[in-house]
Amino acid sequence: MSLEITVTPEAIDGKRISIKGSLDSNTAPELQRQIDAEITDTTRTTIMDFKELNFLSSAGLRVIFKTKKVMDKNGGKFLLVNLQPQIKKVFEIIKALDGMNVFKDQDEMDDYLTDMQNKVIDEG
Amino acid sequence: MISQHPNLKTLSVRNKTADSKKLSAFLTQYLTSNNLPEGIHDDLRLAAEETFINIANYAFHIKGVYPVDIEARITVDTISITFIDSGIAFNPLLDCDKYIEDNEHCEGGMGIHIIKSLSDKQQYKRINQRNVFTITKHYTIQHQ
Repeated sequence: MSLEITVTPEAIDGKRISIKGSLDSNTAPELQRQIDAEITDTTRTTIMDFKELNFLSSAGLRVIFKTKKVMDKNGGKFLLVNLQPQIKKVFEIIKALDGMNVFKDQDEMDDYLTDMQNKVIDEG
Repeated sequence: MISQHPNLKTLSVRNKTADSKKLSAFLTQYLTSNNLPEGIHDDLRLAAEETFINIANYAFHIKGVYPVDIEARITVDTISITFIDSGIAFNPLLDCDKYIEDNEHCEGGMGIHIIKSLSDKQQYKRINQRNVFTITKHYTIQHQ
């Protein structure tokens, strides 16, 4: 029941937050602290990578929703990737996947990010 | 942990979020030792965590450390987990039965929605000034 959080830079002023282990009532506050420290007004993209997340409770969901809200408010992108079946099931129970950018794997997300980057270049 | 019956296991924890770790370890050990299908482990662990956190957050209005007793029972096709606490009368099925996406309103709403989705039956009773909340899940053993 522990959580490991890794934050790495991504293109387009982005941050990838990879979480491993259990995101529950005990570990959610630590994730919130890290996100508060890492996500700023200038963050354009936040990617939450759940490849190694094996447990998610409502306490963890609240952190995810709050982060999405911050990104929406700042006009940034909020992406979820690599949802394992048991994690996807929790999102589906509360019907929370609608309106979220969810990618089954890295390749699918890379295609999306490439399109986004090209759009920025075209507009620039 | 006291065992009164081969199919009954009990655990007593404090009304503290940190004690959900003990609950999780207790359930994992119980489910594994009873050879319950792997598929229901995650469901029960999550339903139990949400139930316990609701109790820890809402059942006690006077700050302090109180016991929460947990009983796990298994039959040939069901597993039940009962939570017993001495807090104020609080029926999560009625008091927090709405889906809220964030924590600006009823924080427990999302939890009870998860509990209802992951268990087949939920029952609340007030007995001798204690809240008794039970979640039950059916299972089938696949024989080869």
